[in-house]
Parts: sequence; structure tokens; C-alpha cells
Amino acid sequence: MTTGTVTTITPMPGGISMAVGVGHYLVVGAVLLLLGVFGIFLNRKNIIVIMMSIELILLAVNINLVAFSASLGDLAGQVLAMFVLTVAAAEAAIGLAIVVVYFRNRGSIQVEDVGLMKG
Amino acid sequence: MINQNWILALPEIVLAICAMAILVFGVLWKRSNPSFPCAMLALASLLLAGVLALSAPLGSAYGGLFAVDHFAVFMKLLIVAGAGLSLILSIDYNVQTGIDRFEFPVLILLCTVGMMIMASATNLMSLYIGLELQSLSIYVMASFNRDDLRSSEAGLKYFVLGALASGLLLYGASLAYGFNGSMDFAQLRAGLTSTNPPAGLVIGIVFIVAGLAFKISAVPFHMWTPDVYEGAPTPVTAFMSTAPKVAAIALLLRALEVPFGHLGQSWTQLVVLVSIASMLLGSLAAIGQTSIKRLMAYSSIGHMGYALIGLATNSQAGIQGVLVYMVTYVFMSAGVFACVIAMRRQGLALEKISDLSGLARTDPMLALAFAIFMFSMAGIPPFSGFFGKLYVFYAAVQAGYWTLAVIGVLTSVIGAYYYLRVIKVMYFDDAQPAFDARSPSLSFVAAVGALVTVLFFVFPAPIVNAAQIAASALFG
Amino acid sequence: MIAAIAFYVFAAVLIGSAALVVSSRNPVHSVLFLILAFFNAAGLFLLAGAEFLAMVLVIVYVGAVAVLFLFVVMMLDVNFDQMREGVQRYAPIGAAVGAVLFLELIVTVAGWQFVPNVTLHLASATPAGVTNTAALGHLIYTDYIFLFQAAGLILLVAMIGAIVLTHRERGASRRQNIGVQQARTMANTLEMMTVAIGAGSRQTGILRPLPPPARPLDDHDDHGHGGHDDGHGHDDHAHAGGH
Repeated sequence: MTTGTVTTITPMPGGISMAVGVGHYLVVGAVLLLLGVFGIFLNRKNIIVIMMSIELILLAVNINLVAFSASLGDLAGQVLAMFVLTVAAAEAAIGLAIVVVYFRNRGSIQVEDVGLMKG
Repeated sequence: MINQNWILALPEIVLAICAMAILVFGVLWKRSNPSFPCAMLALASLLLAGVLALSAPLGSAYGGLFAVDHFAVFMKLLIVAGAGLSLILSIDYNVQTGIDRFEFPVLILLCTVGMMIMASATNLMSLYIGLELQSLSIYVMASFNRDDLRSSEAGLKYFVLGALASGLLLYGASLAYGFNGSMDFAQLRAGLTSTNPPAGLVIGIVFIVAGLAFKISAVPFHMWTPDVYEGAPTPVTAFMSTAPKVAAIALLLRALEVPFGHLGQSWTQLVVLVSIASMLLGSLAAIGQTSIKRLMAYSSIGHMGYALIGLATNSQAGIQGVLVYMVTYVFMSAGVFACVIAMRRQGLALEKISDLSGLARTDPMLALAFAIFMFSMAGIPPFSGFFGKLYVFYAAVQAGYWTLAVIGVLTSVIGAYYYLRVIKVMYFDDAQPAFDARSPSLSFVAAVGALVTVLFFVFPAPIVNAAQIAASALFG
Repeated sequence: MIAAIAFYVFAAVLIGSAALVVSSRNPVHSVLFLILAFFNAAGLFLLAGAEFLAMVLVIVYVGAVAVLFLFVVMMLDVNFDQMREGVQRYAPIGAAVGAVLFLELIVTVAGWQFVPNVTLHLASATPAGVTNTAALGHLIYTDYIFLFQAAGLILLVAMIGAIVLTHRERGASRRQNIGVQQARTMANTLEMMTVAIGAGSRQTGILRPLPPPARPLDDHDDHGHGGHDDGHGHDDHAHAGGH
């Protein structure tokens, strides 16, 4: 536990023994982040899918945090993951409220036909 | 032990309780529109929070989640000042625009709580919570004029890009945590004894810096700024360009200097690039603008570039420069937006630069105030903006960043062109019909801003000394 | 062994459904795939020993957030076919950005290593012999109470924001005002008249329906619905067109 050597992907002593290494979780997280960013570029017009892509990014963060938390044997990561869940729910509520307001004013939710404020 | 924790966080706690009390008051107050009494109560709460922040003891609370040091106190006072001035600006504007709802001051207060948490955050977790409390309130405020398409569009744009930035910041935070096993800034620093940090950590830092750069609208994360500044209700624009900028700069300074200060070589280059790009874009893109709000948006991008010069030097003198710069910037900015809100003819809000023409003849006091702010933003002595730039440029030269200082001076010269153009329109173009009589609240904010801007060179010592003490807290 | 197989199944389904979230044509399908993704992420959390978060993910996300998305997608009557237009145009740049990001992240993960003595400064080491939920509960109500309360403020802001932005006081609706109904007396609702035999309503002065500018307390229709709005002064929709 107190060896001074650099520890690689193996689980830390004291951590919950995981069936697979933390590296696997990180790959899943990285792919999810990637899909989220890709989704934002791919669906530039559809604001609702953009918001779902943001949810995917936050899910990627949570997977990272939980994996680190388990492999380090430190609950702080899970506490942060819980806060992220809370904030993401609040963010979704506000985002959807803004989308509804925008839709009422404009009659569409296409982000790109925003000629109003170009320049 | 517990008592000490609560006492250290007293300003935030009191402000949050005041916000909730005002919310209840506003809901229960049926006799008339509660927005004015609520705004007054909110101002009183901000004043109270400022006094508490000034008198709070120093120390670290909640097991290192939260620190009160001179840096935090300095930033909190500046945040409270910016929030208070913007709140005063909103009172009459909201009535005239028909959005005088009592939730507005409540949101400003909750946003201020978030910003104060940001200024005190010494842990990635409190950094994130503070940042989100601030951001979510601003998303709502930007689309507060919900029947106006431009306002809701501004809110939507800011929301989408802001949520993406928070997500990336958080991903960086998760990598930094995973690398080091701790989210505490001091522990991060203790863990990073080697001079050659692993790739994961560097990528984590890049993500964190990108997320924070979005919040201060530095290039290349500035795209939202002009649209959101133009679309949001003007007091909200004033608010966004003052207090949240201070809070985000505070976070950026603390999150880079405390855990990663000794790894300067892995992030100063990044900050240098961002700074140069922001200064260039801020000064070049502003030239063709006809809307004063868009002009101020590009101006704020440029100003953040100047402020980042100080951070790029990674030295105590540089941080001191950033702090002085932020003080001058907050008061200039609040003053300019007071003048912009005063641009109203027959009840219609105006925001074109050409609408200002001949203002010197119809309203000499407003024109004088506007001119003072423009001179100061251009960095012309003896106004405060000049001293802000002087401190960061001096720190850059001392640290050997000659290119940065030279580019800073050059872009200031380019920037002076469009600031002086506004003054030329006001003083030398044909007069137009006078603006509507402005409310005393606008005159008050403009006067406060102008006094700070003009008198800074007479009494610079208190602010400069306070900034020095605050900066030393990060290096102590 | 079984846990490893479960991990790969959950991970594969998670990634597959996430890909379908961003690529499906119909946003309703996207939401449904998002729900599937959340379920599988909850499975991954369970495997990593984070039971509480797994349950929260299912309850909060599937139960509330995804349903909120579904609700908004269906409420807004949007022509979604138009929105696919930009896909072809942005796919290359999206793919380029994605590829760069992915390479960077793979480099990160491949070169992953913890800092020396990482366990020496853990903020809140996992206690032995306590369930995950109990351990988290101990933490958030003690060490992290300040942030827990601040997270509550975030939810408050979300609540205020959603109400401020979308709630509209309907001035036209006729609400029942029980107090007014109860206060009605026979004197101000009924009028006894003697009507001459054979006289029409014009001659007796009885007008039907009642004239529009109704007298106070007298404007109730026959069903007794008081048409009184409390007149919330704060909910003012007057828009002066200030731009």
C-alpha cells in the first residue's frame, strides 16, 4: 500500500476488486465522450439531439469517475458522480425550458436558421 | 471544528438564505408587483454578503473543499460589486421592457452564491458545483425576456455551448482525479512532484482550461459571445461581462497556479496562445461592428486576452496585474452598460453606434461618461484601463514575454481606433433628437464607474496593495 | 468470469445504443436509445460496486430526465426530416474532430498510470463492511454537506428557471373562487319582481344576457363560477418591444 513505485492499471489495494481493469472502463468512457461530441457536430440543426449528446458526455464522465473511484478505493469520485447526476438533471430541465420558449417564439427548433444575429 | 466551517462560509450561506427568503416574499406579496422591493432586498443582501466576506476569518473549511484567503476575499468583493451594479441597472430596464419579475433578483443572488463558491473553490468538486450554480442561473437570465425571439435564442446558444464546455471541463476533472487519486488542489500539487507529468494529466488540464476559457469567452471558445451579448437583455449582458468573468478568472488563476503552478511549462504556452488569439480577434473583429452591444462583446474578448497575459507569466506580479485589470474592467464595463441602457428614445431601446451621434450636444453628461469609459477601455492615460494594461504588460516584460507585451500594445492601438470612433460619433457628428430622461439608477451606476475609472490614478495604492496581498495568497 | 462477460455485454450495448442516439432519424427513437444507454451504464456502475449510483441513474435518468425529453419531443410538433439536411455536410468535420479526440484519449488510456503513493492522500477511502449507499450517505451529510446544499441550490435554480420561462398565467381561464361563491347572498344575486301578466322582458327591464360591464359580485353565471383572477402583478406579459 505504501510502496513508492508507479502503479499501472491494476486495481489499488483497498479498492473494490473489479472484474475488469479500470482501463476498460476508461475506453468505454472515451468512446461515449467521442460519440457525444460527434453527435453535436452531426446534428447541428436538431437541438434536442444535441442535448441528448450532452447527456452522453456527462454519462462518460460518470463512468470515468465510478471506475476511478472503484479502482482507487476512494468514494470521492462517486460523490462527484452523484453531483454530476444532480446537475445534469437540472441542466436538462432548464435546457428543455429554454427550448420550449424558443419554439414558442420561432415555431421551430432549428438552430441553424438563426439569421437574426449573424455578423 | 464544525462551527469554524460554517463561519468561513458565512457570506455564501447568508446570501443563499436571503435569496430563498426573497423568493418566498415575492411569492407571498400580492399587493403590487414585488419586483422593486425584491430588488431592494437583494441589494441589501449583497451589501450584507460583501461586509461578511470582508470580515470573515481566513482559513480552510470542509476538509479542504473551500478556502477563505485574501485572494478569495478580493475576488468575492469584486463579484459582489459587479452583481450589485448590474442589479441596479436591471431595475428600471426590466420595468420598461415588461420583464420586471421578482425572480430576477433572486437569480442574481443565487448566481452570486455560485460565483463566491467559485472564488473559494480549492477542490475540483467545489469548482464544478460553483460553476454550474453560476452557469445555470445565467442561462435562465439570458432568456429572461421570454417573449423576445432574440433573448430566447441567446439563452439557447449560451446554454448549448455552456453545457458542452462544462461537460468537457468535467471530463478533464475526472482525468485529473483519476491520475492523482484526489480532487483537492493542494493534494494534486503534492502528487505532481515529477517534472514530467503523464499524458493523461496534460489532457485533463487542457480540458479544464478549455472549459474555463469558454466561461471567460477567450478565443477559440468565444463564438457565443457576440450573439449572446446582443440578444440577452442589456442588464444581463452587463452582468455577464462583469461578475461571472471575475469568478471564472478567479477559478482559472487558482486552478492553474495552486495545483499546477510548478508545471508551468506544460500550460503557459497554451495560455499564451489563447491570450494572443483573444487580443487579436477582440481588436480586429470589433472594427466593423455597428451595434454597441456587439462591440462590447468583442471588446470583452480582447480584455480577457489582456488579463490572460498576466496568467501566462506564471508569476506573482502577473497575477497581481490580472487582479488590478479585473477591478478596472468591472467598473468600466458596468459604466458602459449603464450608458447603453440610457440609450432610449421614445421608449425604444437603441443599440446602434450611429444612434449616439451628436450626443455631446443633447446630453453632455452622458457623452462625457461614455467618453471616459471609451478612453479607459482603449488604455489611454490617466484612466484606470491604462494602469490595468500597464501592470500586465510590465509583468510580461519582467518575465521575459516580450512578444506577448508587444502584441498587447499593438492590439491596444488597433482597439483604440474603434473606441475613439464612438467618441468621434458622439462629439463631431450631427445631433439627433435627445434620449429619454434617464433614471437616477443609471446615472448612479455610470457615476460610480466613472469615478473609479477617473480617480484610480489618484488613489491606486489601496487596490494595488490589496491585489498584491491577494496574489501572494496563491503563491504562499 | 461472469462479471467480465457482463461487463463486455453492458459496454457493447451501451456504446451501440449511444451511437444510435446520435444517428437515428427520429428523435423519439433517440430518446428510447438514450434510456437503453442509461440502463446499461447502470449495469456498469453495479459491476464497479457503485450500487447507489446505479439505482439513482435508473430512477432519476430513466424515470425523470428521459421522460422529460420524450415529453418535450412530443410536445413540440417539429418536422424532423428537415433537420437531417446538414448531416452529410457536417459528417466529415465531425468525424475528423472525433478521430483526433479518440486518438488522444487512447494515448491517455494506454499510458495510464497512477501517481506514486496514490492511496496516501485519498479524500474519503472506501470503508470496509459498510454498504455503498450507507457509506455515500455518511459522506454527503458530513464531509460534503456544503456541496450537497449547494447542489440543492442548483435544483432550486432549475425550478425557478423552468417556472419563470414556461409558466404562463392564463388570464382568460375562469377559475372557481370558492370564497366569492360562499360570500354570495340572496340579496345581490336574486331580485324578486312582480311581472305583469303578458309583459315581455323588455317592458320589465330584465335583460338577458346580462350587459358586459358587469356589476361587482354580480357577474357569475348560473353555475356559480366566479370569474375572478387574483391578478398576480408579477406575471406581467406586457412587452414593450424594447429593441
